[in-house]
Amino acid sequence: MTIKTSNEPFLTRLKESEQDTFMQKAVAKAQDAQWDKRTAARNELGHWEQWRDLGEQIRQHVIRYLPDYLEEFADNIEKHGGHVFFAKTDKEASDFIKHLAEEKQVHHVVKSKSMVTTEIDLDKELLKIPGLSLLETDLAEFILQEDDWDEPTHIVFPTLHKNRDQIRTIFQKLGYTGDNDPQHLARFARTYLRASFLKADMGITGCNFGVADSGLINLVTNEGNADLVMAIPKTQVVVMGMERLVPSLKEAEVLDNMLARSAVGQKLTSYCSFSTRQVSGESDGPEDFYVVIVDNGRSNALGTPFEPVLQCIRCGACLNVCPVYRHIGGHGYGSIYPGPIGAVLSPVLRGYEQFGDLPFASSLCGACTETCPVRIPLHELLIKHRQVMMNKLHTDKSFNNVIMKGIGVATSTPAMFRMALTADHVAMAPLTKHAPITVENEYPEGIIRKAPSMAKGWTDVRDLPEMPKHSENFRSWFKQHHKEQEAKQDD
Amino acid sequence: MTEREAFLEGLAKKAGRPRHQLKDHPLVPVNDLPETTLADKSPAELAALAKTNSEAVHVTYQTTTTKDLPAALDAFIQAKAAKTLLLPTTDAYQRFGLEDWRQQVQPTPTYWVPGAGREANLKAAASAEAAIGFADFLLAESGTITAATTPGQGRAFHFLPTHYLAVIPASRIVARSRQAADWYDREIKAGRLQTSNINFITGPSNSGDIEMVLIVGVHGPLDMTYLVVEDQ
Ligand code: SF4
Repeated sequence: MTIKTSNEPFLTRLKESEQDTFMQKAVAKAQDAQWDKRTAARNELGHWEQWRDLGEQIRQHVIRYLPDYLEEFADNIEKHGGHVFFAKTDKEASDFIKHLAEEKQVHHVVKSKSMVTTEIDLDKELLKIPGLSLLETDLAEFILQEDDWDEPTHIVFPTLHKNRDQIRTIFQKLGYTGDNDPQHLARFARTYLRASFLKADMGITGCNFGVADSGLINLVTNEGNADLVMAIPKTQVVVMGMERLVPSLKEAEVLDNMLARSAVGQKLTSYCSFSTRQVSGESDGPEDFYVVIVDNGRSNALGTPFEPVLQCIRCGACLNVCPVYRHIGGHGYGSIYPGPIGAVLSPVLRGYEQFGDLPFASSLCGACTETCPVRIPLHELLIKHRQVMMNKLHTDKSFNNVIMKGIGVATSTPAMFRMALTADHVAMAPLTKHAPITVENEYPEGIIRKAPSMAKGWTDVRDLPEMPKHSENFRSWFKQHHKEQEAKQDD
Repeated sequence: MTEREAFLEGLAKKAGRPRHQLKDHPLVPVNDLPETTLADKSPAELAALAKTNSEAVHVTYQTTTTKDLPAALDAFIQAKAAKTLLLPTTDAYQRFGLEDWRQQVQPTPTYWVPGAGREANLKAAASAEAAIGFADFLLAESGTITAATTPGQGRAFHFLPTHYLAVIPASRIVARSRQAADWYDREIKAGRLQTSNINFITGPSNSGDIEMVLIVGVHGPLDMTYLVVEDQ
């Protein structure tokens, strides 16, 4: 699998996603559960906005001085006897690792979850080597692999779209005879994968953060598989996006805390490890240690308004609050990076030709920007993508149907506009529902779920906030505010 | 130009910023939250917090004294009905008064032995039903133990055994990950600690990958016990 997961046109993918009701329910359930857990974890830490300031500062600083940090990081890895390979493209990265596996006559590869290795299509490349076996060891990735390399649907919960019966059927092909209890299914995977770990001669991991001033690789997981991948095989290959650095252990520690709270609502993940090549006297850990640093389109963001996208720490929080993701799930995006981050990042990595639709898969509600722990202005970057496409590529993605023209006429005629403002609250009142705030409902003051005519297309997929009362709309507020300001000046 | 130089030069060019500026512009954090969070807590408050937060991540949290430590360890082994036991090679036995205990403990332990090689140590860890390790710190905020890999207590020591107990001196309960990270950073940079790996472990392994149902015990140990030695 590369970044692009589907050759179907965007609208076809949307139709398919729309029909997958299990997926929609699973995504909704996950979003709601994560909403509560994430909010509680952040509140408990306290001063969340100031933590975001710090997270943003750390990531911006790294991106600003990226070549310097990369140089320092690479020097430190080499100082410990490790090897560093800089790969400009996905092909350079996967070729390097494939040659390494051939040269070392590797037979059994174990991998821990890594989006970058999916991005460079590493698994498929390695499996071309005769006699080589490869196993994904993260439970979700293992399920996807055994289901004929099914696409992930979320960057933190890749199997969100699968139910326990489907997973049971997948495991039955491997000899599982038990029921569909998740605990039993997981125990089966534990036993099955344990044997593979113990005979593995190459381990491949991703990297949450590379620590520049020590060359340590920081990985955070909950299952413990990544640590076994780093402990057992003699050779370890780390594959990382070139932007995933931090200056020192201090900043890694800050971001690990923010990542765990944002991704899964935990204070820290079960395992948070900092590691490098085995040192003298130790008996496990890699004797041969390689770090492959991948650009693969990331540098397209440097020096452009899209540079902040490189701040991302892949927590998935923006997916978990996104109303569009809730509706279309991961597969709808056709990229291994779905949701708001995917809609910004995928066109940066691969261009508008492949991913030009994604910046339009957003209601621009700004919930993603609001939740991002490192303050990436996601919805603004989506608008920027649209602008760039409109300006440079002259693609017409604007609303141009008759109704929108009608709205144009109404809103540009003062009398009609005033009339609409007075009438809309009253007219829409019978259609309005009131419910507490959730990801499903960002408008506790009232939402419209089924609007007529021109707004029907919108409410088919999104909620519409209740129109404000005449006394609360912008014009009324402005009039009042203006009066108050004038009164103040008079004092 | 080397491949690395070409790569880094390319980035600098695209960013439109010259290289080698970092030394004059080091990161100066915008706030000191990592240091000040929970910094006002007393040792007793931190110990109480450590207990609450450890239990919240499915850890069995126990306290004991140096005198009662051998009995507490025996009780753990019995509770897990462990037929195989893995212990590290360390001078901690002496510090905790466990020299006699380890001569008599049942089942007869297997050790993670420096110099025994990868295969032998991994085999010992993989067949261990219980392991008793020694942690460097316990983080009160998150219920996390930390351990740096040593020749006598390897990486897989913490991951392959089925049931795991960590012994922690009460004096090593600190507020958060910042205090532990600072200590490791200092020790490594001063050359006092030579290690290839530092583990921060927060409870037993778990996963929510199947329908978001929490499964405790996936690849790592199925359960964890923290045993805090109050007079150490
Ligand atoms: S963009 Fe922000 S919220 Fe989204 S995954 Fe990245 S860090 Fe998390």
